[in-house]
Amino acid sequence: MGSKWAPYLFLLPAAVYIFAFQAIPLMQQVYLSFTRTSLLNPTGGTWVGLANYVRVFGSPDFHQTLWTTLVYVVACVVGSVGLGFGVALLLNAKLPARNIARAVVTIPWAAPGIATALIFVWMMNPQYGIITRALRALGVDVGASGILDNPNLALSAILATTIWQLFPFVAVVLLSALQAVPMELQEAARMDRANQWWVFRVVTWQVVKPTVGLVAMLMTIWSLRRFELIWIMTRGGPLGTTRTLVIDLYSQAFEAQRLGDAAAIGMVGIAMALIVVVGSRAVSSAVEREA
Amino acid sequence: MRTTKIGVTARVVGILIVMGVAVFPLYWMFTTALTSDAELFGAQPRMLPDLSRFGVFVDALAKGPSLTWLRNSALIAAGVTALSISLGIPLAYALSRFAFKGKLAVGLLLLMTQMLPEALMVVPLFSLYRRFELLDSLGGLVLANTAFVLPIVALVLKGAIDGVPRELEESARVDGCNPLSVLLRINVPIIAPSIAAAAVIAFFHAWNEYVFAVTFIFNKALQPASVGLAGFVGEQGTSIQTVMAVSLLFTLPAVAFYLFVQRYVVSGMMSGALKG
Repeated sequence: MGSKWAPYLFLLPAAVYIFAFQAIPLMQQVYLSFTRTSLLNPTGGTWVGLANYVRVFGSPDFHQTLWTTLVYVVACVVGSVGLGFGVALLLNAKLPARNIARAVVTIPWAAPGIATALIFVWMMNPQYGIITRALRALGVDVGASGILDNPNLALSAILATTIWQLFPFVAVVLLSALQAVPMELQEAARMDRANQWWVFRVVTWQVVKPTVGLVAMLMTIWSLRRFELIWIMTRGGPLGTTRTLVIDLYSQAFEAQRLGDAAAIGMVGIAMALIVVVGSRAVSSAVEREA
Repeated sequence: MRTTKIGVTARVVGILIVMGVAVFPLYWMFTTALTSDAELFGAQPRMLPDLSRFGVFVDALAKGPSLTWLRNSALIAAGVTALSISLGIPLAYALSRFAFKGKLAVGLLLLMTQMLPEALMVVPLFSLYRRFELLDSLGGLVLANTAFVLPIVALVLKGAIDGVPRELEESARVDGCNPLSVLLRINVPIIAPSIAAAAVIAFFHAWNEYVFAVTFIFNKALQPASVGLAGFVGEQGTSIQTVMAVSLLFTLPAVAFYLFVQRYVVSGMMSGALKG
């Protein structure tokens, strides 16, 4: 007895919880996006239909936000997957103390985002930061107000920090995928250096390709959600050059106090996340069918 | 043979550079905490920590609010751990052991939850929290954070339960145990290491969390360390050495524990992305 109902009973607590803390907020988000609601009176919104969406999409600032988000996400994914893959290839060999090397490389990913933001802010301090000093010594002019206040450099600085944070995860994941590549082939490739590129292209890449796709999807989502790093380092400035979607949303809600506009931006973000997840699954199953 | 030697050397040098890049910011945190003002703001940076100044760590904890912050972080994290494990074990068991209608939908829902950024949900949660008076409470933060860590916890636990032989359950069921006591008596003890790993993941997810904490907590006495530390930025009167010392104390436990559980996190994340 009970076996028919047993799975639902086991599911129930989590289902109730997810309904209360994910589904209801999501509905509230949809509702808020159709209202004019002030932060000061969050329960007293008035229905305005699509007005928030019209205003958000019509605003040049939001166009800049979308562009910045696109640049940020693409650069983060390319940078973290590229660097992570490179590091995984480096670590994929019989080496003394490889596990120690792997553990040390993991550190940036394990460090709390706030701590990462604080140390990079300090390292990029306009006068005394070690990175600023190093750049000045190399003859790079970062301007008097420093890297993070320079519209030409701030986004690159945020990108470098984000990639520093993300590449270890990619490296660890791809290292374990690489270990599935037949060892004899790797050995053969190592003996005959002329064949290395061929082995990489024909064997290694074929084995790790699906994992690279998955990890690229995760990096896309993680870049879309990255908040505290940018908020602490630049708050989206200077001149909005580092204002990604989540930063825009947060400052609309909690600085401009416009919860309705923020909710509309939130819906755009949710749509983006959905497109990434569904799109990448469609691509990966199409690739599988082809193979 | 020679070329192989050179190849190995190049590889080792490359790995050492990557290790240096990975570790330098934390090293710099440590060094900065242990450097005097005169050398910090001098013409030449001091590259090595002055170990005679180690008292800065004691002072950072003894003076000011950092101990309260760390305590609040630990309380929130402990709550999130307890709640997400108690919700996650039965959820994982249902997903691992039963075939039922709507299973695919549950899996998809978990994936979506895992993919949904916290910052996108902060506005509706804020407005609901205002209505239900959950602002300015550590319990409210526990509830908000658990929702976002539950998917990874459930996936790690599901993977562990998948590995428990069904025969062990059969014999218990013959003895008349109901499904719940089968889960508690047979599965839970066997998957204890994975439960511990999931607990560490949940704990440090909450420990590191910032956006809900900074938005939902106004009372300074309830601030966790992430918010307290971030508040140091641009604030006059707090020395950079103190900021770095507290940051390091905040960072080290997270890094140390993550090194133990990283393979669980990786496989949980990847299986979620794969199957959802």
